[in-house]
Amino acid sequence: MKQKNGLWGKILLVLTAIFFYAPIVYIMIFSFNGSRSLTKLNGFSLQWYEKMFSDRTMMQAIFYTIAIALLATVISTVVGTLTAIGLSRSKKILRNVVEQVNNLPVMNPEIVTGIGLLMFFSAIGIKKGFGTMLLAHVMFCIPYVILSVMPKLRSLDPNLADAAMDLGATPLQALWKIIVPQITPGILSGALIAFTMSFDDFVISYFVTGNGVNNISILVYTMSKRVNPSINALSTLVIAMITLVLIMINIIPMIQEKRKKRKDETVL
Amino acid sequence: MKSFQRISYPYILWMTLMIVAPMLLIVLYAFTTQGNDVTTFRFTLENFARFFQDAVFLDVLKRSLIIAVATTVICVLLGYPIAYVIAQHNPKNQMRLVLMVTLPTWINMLVRTYAWMGILQDDGIINSFFSLVGLGPVKLLHTTFAVILGMVYNFIPFMILQIHTSLTKMDQSLLEAAEDLGANRVESFLRVTLPLSLPGVISGITLVFLPAVSSFFIPKLLGGGQYVLIGNVIETQFLTSGDWNFGSAISLIMAVIIILSMYLAKKVDRSPESLGGGSKG
Amino acid sequence: MKKLIQFKHIVKEFDGKLVLKGIDLDIYENEFVTLLGPSGCGKTTLLRILGGFLTPSEGQVIFDGEDIKNLPPYKREVNTVFQKYALFPHMNVYQNIAFGLKIKKEPKDIIEQKVMRMLKLVNLEDYAERNVTELSGGQQQRIAIARALVNEPSVLLLDEPLGALDLKLRKEMQRELKKIQQEVGITFIYVTHDQEEALTMSDKIVVMKDGEIQQVGTPTDIYNEPVNRYVANFIGESNIVDGMMLGDKEVVFEDKKFDCVDVGFEPRQKVDVVIRPEDLDIVPREEGKLKGVVKSVVFKGVHYEMMVETRKGTSITVKMKVSEDRPVFNEAANEKISANDFYLDVEDVAELDEATIVARADAQAWNPDTDEFVSIKEIVYSIEPKIGKYPVTFTTKAGTSITVNMIVKEQNRVTSREYNEEIYAMNFFKKADEIHESMALETDLKTWANASAWSLEDESEVEITSVQYDFDPETVTTGLYDVTFATEGYEYKVVSTDLYHEGDEVGLTFAPEDIHIMEKEG
Repeated sequence: MKQKNGLWGKILLVLTAIFFYAPIVYIMIFSFNGSRSLTKLNGFSLQWYEKMFSDRTMMQAIFYTIAIALLATVISTVVGTLTAIGLSRSKKILRNVVEQVNNLPVMNPEIVTGIGLLMFFSAIGIKKGFGTMLLAHVMFCIPYVILSVMPKLRSLDPNLADAAMDLGATPLQALWKIIVPQITPGILSGALIAFTMSFDDFVISYFVTGNGVNNISILVYTMSKRVNPSINALSTLVIAMITLVLIMINIIPMIQEKRKKRKDETVL
Repeated sequence: MKSFQRISYPYILWMTLMIVAPMLLIVLYAFTTQGNDVTTFRFTLENFARFFQDAVFLDVLKRSLIIAVATTVICVLLGYPIAYVIAQHNPKNQMRLVLMVTLPTWINMLVRTYAWMGILQDDGIINSFFSLVGLGPVKLLHTTFAVILGMVYNFIPFMILQIHTSLTKMDQSLLEAAEDLGANRVESFLRVTLPLSLPGVISGITLVFLPAVSSFFIPKLLGGGQYVLIGNVIETQFLTSGDWNFGSAISLIMAVIIILSMYLAKKVDRSPESLGGGSKG
Repeated sequence: MKKLIQFKHIVKEFDGKLVLKGIDLDIYENEFVTLLGPSGCGKTTLLRILGGFLTPSEGQVIFDGEDIKNLPPYKREVNTVFQKYALFPHMNVYQNIAFGLKIKKEPKDIIEQKVMRMLKLVNLEDYAERNVTELSGGQQQRIAIARALVNEPSVLLLDEPLGALDLKLRKEMQRELKKIQQEVGITFIYVTHDQEEALTMSDKIVVMKDGEIQQVGTPTDIYNEPVNRYVANFIGESNIVDGMMLGDKEVVFEDKKFDCVDVGFEPRQKVDVVIRPEDLDIVPREEGKLKGVVKSVVFKGVHYEMMVETRKGTSITVKMKVSEDRPVFNEAANEKISANDFYLDVEDVAELDEATIVARADAQAWNPDTDEFVSIKEIVYSIEPKIGKYPVTFTTKAGTSITVNMIVKEQNRVTSREYNEEIYAMNFFKKADEIHESMALETDLKTWANASAWSLEDESEVEITSVQYDFDPETVTTGLYDVTFATEGYEYKVVSTDLYHEGDEVGLTFAPEDIHIMEKEG
């Protein structure tokens, strides 16, 4: 398939890029608009950012979003990784059952997961709010962590843990010193997916929250009925944060690689 | 080691509570009557009857399906050429282009959908452009067009990725073989590339159709408050009317439609192997 | 020597399948013990039970007087060298070897001393800082051994450690492993399926099969006195023939009586007679206890390995008639047609159909200009299940026709009472061209003659191993030729430094103590 790309191909790719990025750029530009208008630019101003930072509900939503995303990431990464390790040593039947059930929240429409959890929390009598939102986020994040850790475990030499224990390591030491370092890339990518899934979630959060606990998505949804340029500022903030996370994730390994290379070169 | 096996047990308990139990609750509610009280359930098919006997709900269902199908078709028609063009590049550029496609999906869907509201407004950037060339303002926001646009925008990356993967996984020597056997570019595309990439198209279709048929914030933001799809009906039942039984029944109907369409997609997925020679993993 | 490990009636079950069926085995200090057997015999399972990675379903593992059945691996005084080494890929050579000592929190300087000593033992002093993934298979192997030995275990378990190495390296490592074992003076328990490895390194070999121990003994014992046909076959190459005991120290095989040294069998008991290839000597024919013909010779470096056939198998000879290809030419229709006579068994007449006739007569019609085939539209024949000649006429649509004969004959088979088998083949016609063009003549001859052989006991197929013919396939022309098919007879593998040639008539001789008698299995 190494034919030359025709002009049409280039045009198509440019149009695709415009289609994908125009709305994002648009919203970022208008977050600095001097007027309330969402359509006409009237000079540069940071007033919408000031408004956002002084708006209690917005600041709370930002706080809840980040707090839940961080907590859900940590919990689901730890639990998901341990579960994946346990499953990799379990009988095939058990592994298959868990994998199938795990697929439910991944494959189900989010709205179905959302109402299911809503009814579940009400049935067992938990008050909706921060706790239910966190539980829900952990629930839909773990399957993604398991999905990204499992393949790494599968490609591992099954004797590694045995070898560690043979040399005197307790199961816990074998886990921490041998297995975890081997599957770190899978754990990290699982954590990244979990973080962004939680950070970006709207549908499930929308159904399981209550008691005035909103995240950024819910806020955008409820506020979007009226023109409110602060949402642009908030959205720009969200875009900036996710971009930052993505850059960090992509750059840190590169730096490590370079450092390692330099080290190797000095050794040689 | 047995000691390792045991560390997955807590999650199995959690999974049963948080994944299985809610699903069972939906089924339970769908087949029972009013009363958000767990103890006073009575079996009934009333909720389903109510849905299928009401022309309003059937209209909503029809509209949801039409929009989901339209979205899916457009995603295939646009996504295939884009994926194909990407697959023509060298691996390094392919990686960059794939990144270009995936990057927006990391950003909150709601934020991205909200962005279109400004663009599509009567005095928004598109209509400003139209007035420059002397066209009157066209109503874009709060139309079916806007809803489908929003869905295509949000879901087409899944389609492109799936097709791209199936195109790159394809054994290049097959194309060379086809050309060696006298097929021209178009023929070898139609007879080799297309059938072999069909599995990617199929899985792309399921990945687009599923969220499209159940979406409720895209119609709300881009279609306006009056624009109702099946997702919006479910939302209303749970958060406004408080009729969980009816809402569960509608969710179940939607789930059945989705399962049926996935089953259908899987069936189509299998048949091309007989004509394409089959290189599915 | 002190008893170090005792397996007491170890049973292991996986999902209802018995992998170990009651193993009783003692292992002593400073022994090099090899568990030998084919894959699936349970040898690795037994090793993993000793390592602590599996718990036996039944039985006891006594180590130094204590039952360690339920002791986790990290509390056992054994270390393992794993299949494919299981080196930790994220650690370098030094870190891998130091792992066990660090876990035990030994002081840093002691760790360094011990690691360096180990690296020296395995001849890899300069590799401490290397990444383990950069090492060759042999080097990784040595690191795995060093990593295990640095913990000063009283037993080292090795699970097919040389399996991934090439032949030359494997030989080298075998010597080195033995050397290391003697140097550190601990018990090695070595699992392998390679009998040569077992014989060269071990003090004691445990031959296993299907979860049971077949024989335990020194390499010499096992080699010279295998307890049954299975062990004899697995350890080294053996000639195994059917025989019958006449009484103590007397056995009959190949219809002759021989002296042996075995006692304790019932008179007239059927036995397997095992003779090692190197125990057989080739002598002039008249001096041989057995007489035969050299069938094949393979040079093995130092010696020759020869197959001597002492008795031919069951054979049958059939006639092959090579006829000229004389197709009938129909000028009007521009068509040619050809066919040949063929033989039929009386018994097969009843099942005869047109497709078979066309195939057997090789009937075909074609256009000589384009070489395209023309279909045969009509086949006229009448036949009876009696010996005789019956004409058959093939005709195309355009009327081109040819007539040939179907010759019905009595079925041609040879029965051998000695081998209790039967062989069958029939005469056939062929065109010279087909013989010239044959890519695998022996197989084709078998097909053309419909040759097959089977056992009279259970109807099972017996392989036809020899096809002989008295023509030169390159130059064969019309005429009548003999083709002989035969099953395998009694053959002995003989190892000798003297060279004999294929077809040499020789005698075989052996001493009474070289005959090993064992009970028939099952």
